[in-house]
Amino acid sequence: MRDSALMRRPAVASEPVRCGDLLLEAPGGSILQLLGKAGATPPSDMSLPEVAGASPGLRNAGPGQWFVVTDRELTGPEIDALAARLAPSLHVVDQSSGRFRIRVSGAPSRRMLAKGVALDLHPERFPVGTATSTLVGQIGTNLARTGQDSFELLVLRGFAQSLWDDLLLMSREFG
Amino acid sequence: MASRVPCPHCGLRPKEEFTIKGAALPRPAPDAGEAAWIEYVYLRENPRGAYDEFWHHTSGCRRWLVVSRNTLTHDVYGARDVALGGETQP
Amino acid sequence: MSSYRLPSGGLVDRAASLAFTFDGKPMQGFAGDTLASALLANGQRLVGRSFKYHRPRGVLTAGAAEPNALVTIGTGGRTEPNTRATMQELYAGLEATSQNRWPSLAFDVGAVNGLLSPFLGAGFYYKTFMWPAGLWEKLYEPFIRKAAGLGRATYEADPDSYEKCWAHCDLLVVGAGVTGLAAALTAARSGARVIVADEHARAGGDLLSTTATLDGLAGPAYADAMLRELASHPEVQVLPRATVFGWYDGGVFGAVERVQKHVAAPDPRRPVERLWRIAARRAVLATGAEERPLVFGGNDIPGVMTAGAMRTYLNRHAVAPGRRAAVFTTNDSGYALAGDLERAGVEVAAVIDSRPDALAFPGLRARVIREAVVSDAHGGREIQAVDVWADGKRERIAVDSLAMAGGFNPVIALACQRGAKPRWSDAHGAFLAPDVDGLSLAGAAAGVTGLAACFESGVRQASAALSDLGFRPTPLATPVVEGDVVPAPAPPLWMIPGVKGKAFVDYQNDVHRADLDLAVREGYGHVELAKRYTTNGMATDQGKLSNVNAIGLLAKARGVSPGEVGTTTFRPFYTPVSFGALTGAHHGKHFQPVRKSPLHDWAARRGAVFVETGLWYRSSWFPRDGETTWRQSVDREVLNVRANVGLCDVSMLGKIEVCGPDAAEFLNRVYCNGFAKLPVGKARYGLMLREDGFIYDDGTTSRLAEDRYFMTTTTAYAAGVMTHLEFCAQALWPELDVRLASVTDQWAQMAVAGPKVREVLQRVVDEDLSNAAFPYLAARDVSLFGGRLRGRLFRISFSGELAYELAVPADYGESVADALMQAGEPFGIQPYGVEALGVLRIEKGHVTHNEINGTVVPADLGFARMVADKPDFVGKRMLSREALVAPGRPQLVGLVPLDPAASFRTGSHVLSKGAAATLENDQGYVTSTAFSPHVGSTIGLALVKNGASRHGEEVLVWNGLRNEMTTARLTSPVFVDPANEKLHA
Ligand SMILES: [Zn+2]
Repeated sequence: MRDSALMRRPAVASEPVRCGDLLLEAPGGSILQLLGKAGATPPSDMSLPEVAGASPGLRNAGPGQWFVVTDRELTGPEIDALAARLAPSLHVVDQSSGRFRIRVSGAPSRRMLAKGVALDLHPERFPVGTATSTLVGQIGTNLARTGQDSFELLVLRGFAQSLWDDLLLMSREFG
Repeated sequence: MASRVPCPHCGLRPKEEFTIKGAALPRPAPDAGEAAWIEYVYLRENPRGAYDEFWHHTSGCRRWLVVSRNTLTHDVYGARDVALGGETQP
Repeated sequence: MSSYRLPSGGLVDRAASLAFTFDGKPMQGFAGDTLASALLANGQRLVGRSFKYHRPRGVLTAGAAEPNALVTIGTGGRTEPNTRATMQELYAGLEATSQNRWPSLAFDVGAVNGLLSPFLGAGFYYKTFMWPAGLWEKLYEPFIRKAAGLGRATYEADPDSYEKCWAHCDLLVVGAGVTGLAAALTAARSGARVIVADEHARAGGDLLSTTATLDGLAGPAYADAMLRELASHPEVQVLPRATVFGWYDGGVFGAVERVQKHVAAPDPRRPVERLWRIAARRAVLATGAEERPLVFGGNDIPGVMTAGAMRTYLNRHAVAPGRRAAVFTTNDSGYALAGDLERAGVEVAAVIDSRPDALAFPGLRARVIREAVVSDAHGGREIQAVDVWADGKRERIAVDSLAMAGGFNPVIALACQRGAKPRWSDAHGAFLAPDVDGLSLAGAAAGVTGLAACFESGVRQASAALSDLGFRPTPLATPVVEGDVVPAPAPPLWMIPGVKGKAFVDYQNDVHRADLDLAVREGYGHVELAKRYTTNGMATDQGKLSNVNAIGLLAKARGVSPGEVGTTTFRPFYTPVSFGALTGAHHGKHFQPVRKSPLHDWAARRGAVFVETGLWYRSSWFPRDGETTWRQSVDREVLNVRANVGLCDVSMLGKIEVCGPDAAEFLNRVYCNGFAKLPVGKARYGLMLREDGFIYDDGTTSRLAEDRYFMTTTTAYAAGVMTHLEFCAQALWPELDVRLASVTDQWAQMAVAGPKVREVLQRVVDEDLSNAAFPYLAARDVSLFGGRLRGRLFRISFSGELAYELAVPADYGESVADALMQAGEPFGIQPYGVEALGVLRIEKGHVTHNEINGTVVPADLGFARMVADKPDFVGKRMLSREALVAPGRPQLVGLVPLDPAASFRTGSHVLSKGAAATLENDQGYVTSTAFSPHVGSTIGLALVKNGASRHGEEVLVWNGLRNEMTTARLTSPVFVDPANEKLHA
C-alpha cells in the first residue's frame, strides 16, 4: 500500500466556467485557519517566510481569527514551521480540505453576488482587501474582495458543490 | 423582525445570519440556590417592548452578542459582543 | 365592436401592432398599451364578473388599485389568475381570459346571485352558519363555492425562474412620477446612491397623462429628459416594473420587479420576477394618490371609471372612453378631464359638480350642473344613462361613459405598515401619513396637488433626507408649468342622496353602501368589525379604493368624523406578490443546500443506497447482486464486521478543535465527566449536559497535545454543539483562553472495524499498531503511505469490535478509502452503511439520540459514575434536583422477544406482564430496535422504570397505534462481548 496512488480530489471537480464576462474558478492551493484570542491582532507581516512564494492572502474570519490562503499547496513541514513561528499567540489549523476556494471575477461579479449576499458590496463599503463571513443564499461563506471586480469565497467542503451550482444559476443571466 | 442586526464586528447583517438563544440572563453561580437556577433555566419575562437577548452571529463572525430590541416594533436598539463589548447601533 | 382608438396622439407606437386574444377573441393593440387600454380601444368594456353578485364589470382605474378588471393571463404552467389588466403590459400573443363567469362572460348563470342579494348581504356567512347545518352543506356552500371565487390557479409547474437580490442605497425613492423624479434627481446630483422604483413599465406617472407643459416640454418629454439624466449617474438605479410592497424595520424595503412578465416567451437565462430587498438609509415616498370613486347606484357598470383613469386612457393611450361622456366631480380635477375630452372630440354631456360654488372653466363647452349629484347610473353590460339630482329634481341624461372625481386618497400604505396610524386631515379631506422615522412623503402622497408643487415637494423632501445623511443637497429649480389644472382640496362627498340601486364601496368584494349601514345598525360600526362583518377591504386589492369611502360612510352613519372612525391596520404586502418571487431560486434542486461527505462519490461508486440525514446524504447500505431486500444487505454487512472487517464513512460526525492554554479546563466545564487529566495521545468518551441537567450530546474527545483537543460530536448536533461551545467560551467563561475551530469538513473519517482490522490498517499506517504500541483509546497523529500523508488515528469502537477511526484530509479521503479496500481484500473487507452501524451499536448497547432524547440524565443510561465531582460544569446544579435523582426513573435496558420470530417496534410501550395498557401501568418505551444477526432475533433498547434492576423480567411490548402486543424479556443492554474482550484485543 505504500505505493498506492494518492490523489487530491477537490470537492468540486470543475474546469473554470465562463458566463459572458463572468469567470468562476476553483484555484485550489492551501487554506490555514489561524486561531487567536478574541481581540488579538493579525500576524503583523504577511511576508511569512514559510509561505512566501505561495501568494498568501490573509482573510478576516471574526475576532482573533483569520484564514491564510495560498495559491500553491503547502507541504506538511511548511505548515509546521508556520505553526511553530506563530505559536503560542496563534494556533494553526489546516483547513485545506475543510474549506473550498472559489474565485469569481469579471465586471458583473458584484451584481451576481448581490443575488445571494446581503452585504453592501459597493467598493467604498467593501474595498479591495477586505474579507468577512456572510451568507451567500443559504450557505455560509467567507467572502473576500481581491480586486475591483474579483472576489474569493471560502465555503465548507460539504457545501461546495451546492454553492458552485448556486453561483452558476446566479451567473446565468450574464452568459 | 429585526431585519438587520448591527454586529459590532461585521456591521449590519440580515437576521438570517443569526441564531437566537433567548433572554440575555447571567448564569448563576454553581452553588446558587435552586430558586435562582430555576429562574435562570425556566422562567422568562416575555416583555412587550425592550428586550435583551443572546444572538449568535452564526453565519458571520461566530460571536455571541447581546442584542437589544423592541418586541413590539421590531426596532433594534443596538448590539454588543457578550465578552468584548463594543456596543453598536444600527 | 368599433374601435375607440383616437386617430392620433398618445404614447402608443402605432407602427408596432400587437395581436392578442381576450376569451379567445382576436384583438389588436399597440406597443405602449396596457391590456386594459387595449381592451378599451377594442370596445371591450365588459371584462369580468363581480365576486359575489356576478355583476358585469369594466375597467375602473388605470393602475394598481384596479378591483374589477382581473383576468387570467397565459396558459399551462404560466397561467396567472387575478392579473390586473390595468397593470399588464400588452405583448404580442398575450392570451387573456375573463374570470368569475360561467358559461360565458356575456351570459353568466351566476348573475342570479344578484337576485338572491337579500341573502348575500353583509354578515351573510356568519348568519348562514347558524342555520341548520344540513342546509349549509347540501345547498349553500356548494352553490356559493362554484359561483363565487376568483381565477383558478394552475396545477402545472411554473416553467419560469425567479430570484432574489439585495440592494443598498442612501435614498430610496418609491414612485417615479414628477415628485419622485424630482427627488431622485436632487439626490443624484448631490452624489448620493439612489434607487428609484416605479411599478409601471414606463416611469413618469401623471407626466405621461397630463396635457400641461413643463419648461415648454410636454409631460412625457420632460419625464424622459429627467430619466436620461438619472441614467447618466452611475450611482443611480432606476427599477421600472418594480412594486415596493413592504417597509420593514432596519430600513429594509421589499420590492418585486416584474422582469419578464411582459413578454410571450421569457428568456430562460433571466428570471421572470425578481424580489428585491432594498436596504435604504432614507426613503421618500412619492407614491401619488388614488382617486376616490363616488358611491352612487350602479357605480360599477362598465363605462364608469375614475376621472384620472379616463384621462390616462385618453391622453396616454389615445383611447376615447365613449362618444358621449359625463363627469361627476367634487373638485376641480374633473374639469381637466372634461377639457381634454372635448379637445379629443368626445362630447361631454354634462359636468355634474357637487359644489355650489364651482368656478367656471373658460373654454369648456359642456353644461355644468352645480350643487348636483349622480344618484344612479343605468345600463346592463354598459352604462346608458345617469340620473342627476339638482335643485330637488331628477334628470336623466343619456351617456355611454361616466367619470367619477371624488377627491384623492394619498397612497400612504408603506408609511403605515410599521404600526403608525394615518391621521385624518379636514383641510385635505383625506387621511395623511403619520410622522415616521427614516421615511418622508412627498407630492400627492403628502396631499400636495399640482405638478409644480409636487416637483418642489420632491426636491424639498429629498434635500431634507440628504442633509440628514450628511450630503450637501443640490436642489433642482422648479420648471415653469403651464396648462395644469390644480384642484384645491374639496370636502369629500360620502353620502349621496336619492340612491336607488346598489352603490358599491368595495367593488372587488361586492360590498355596497347598504352593507355598511347594516353593519352599523347591527353594532359592528367599529372599523375593524365592519371590515370583517362586510368583508370590505379584504379582497386582493386590500381596499385601496374602498377603505376610505367605507370609513367616510361609517363616520356619517355614526355621526363622527372619519378621523374618529380611524383606519384598519396596514400590513405588507401592498399588492399581491407571487409565491414564485418569494421562493426565488430556492426550489427543486436548489431548495436547500446538500451537504456531501468527502466519501459520497466513493460510496456511490460502490452502489450505496443513500438516506437524507439533515442536509447530509449518508450511505445506508451497499447492496450486492442477488440481494433482494435491504435486510439481506444489512445483515451481511453486520456479520462481516463481526467476522472479518468493514469500513464505514463517519465523516459527517461533528469535529471540533479545541485549543489554547485553558482548553483542558474548558472541556472540564462543558463535559460532565473529567477531561483535565486526559493524557496526551488518549481519547475519552464524554457526555455534555444542558443547563437543565439532561444530556445534550455525546462523543469522544482526544487530547492531541497539551493545549489541543480534537472533539467529535453526533452528526445531528454538530452545528449546535459548536454554537454551544462558543457560548460557553464567550458568554459564560470569557476569562478562559480557548479557541475553537470546526474541522468537520477537513477530515474524511472512516470507522474500520472487525477482528481483522489491524492487519488491514497496518498496510496503510506507518506506525506500529500492535496492542502494546497503540492500545484501546489511543489517539494520535499518524503517518500514512510511507510518510506521504498525515492522518489521525483513534482506537475507539462504536460496534464493540476491535476498531479504529482513521481521519485523513478530506481531499484525500477517496484515495485512502480505496487503498483500505484494496488492502482489506484478502481479509474480506466490505463497506457498511449507517443501517449496519445502527445494528452494531444496538447490539453493543451504545446510545444515540434515540436514547439521549432530552429526558435522560447520565444515571438513566448507567453513566452515574462518569459524572465527576468538580466545582462546576454545565448542568451540574440542576442535575441534583429532586426529580432527576428520584427513584423510579427510566433506565436503559435491552429487550428481546421471547419468541425469536416475533418482533416489536421503536416507540412501543413496555408494560408489566399481565397489566392492562393504561397510562398508569406504563413502564417505559422502546427507543431503538433492530434485527440482530448475532442474537438471531429482533432486539431493542428501552428506557424502563428501574430497568437496571429488572433484567430477566418478562414484559409486554405494546404498540397502541398498530394494536401489536409482544411478550419480551428485559436484559442487559449489551448483547455483544459484555466483557469488552474484543475491544482490547
Ligand atoms: Zn458578526
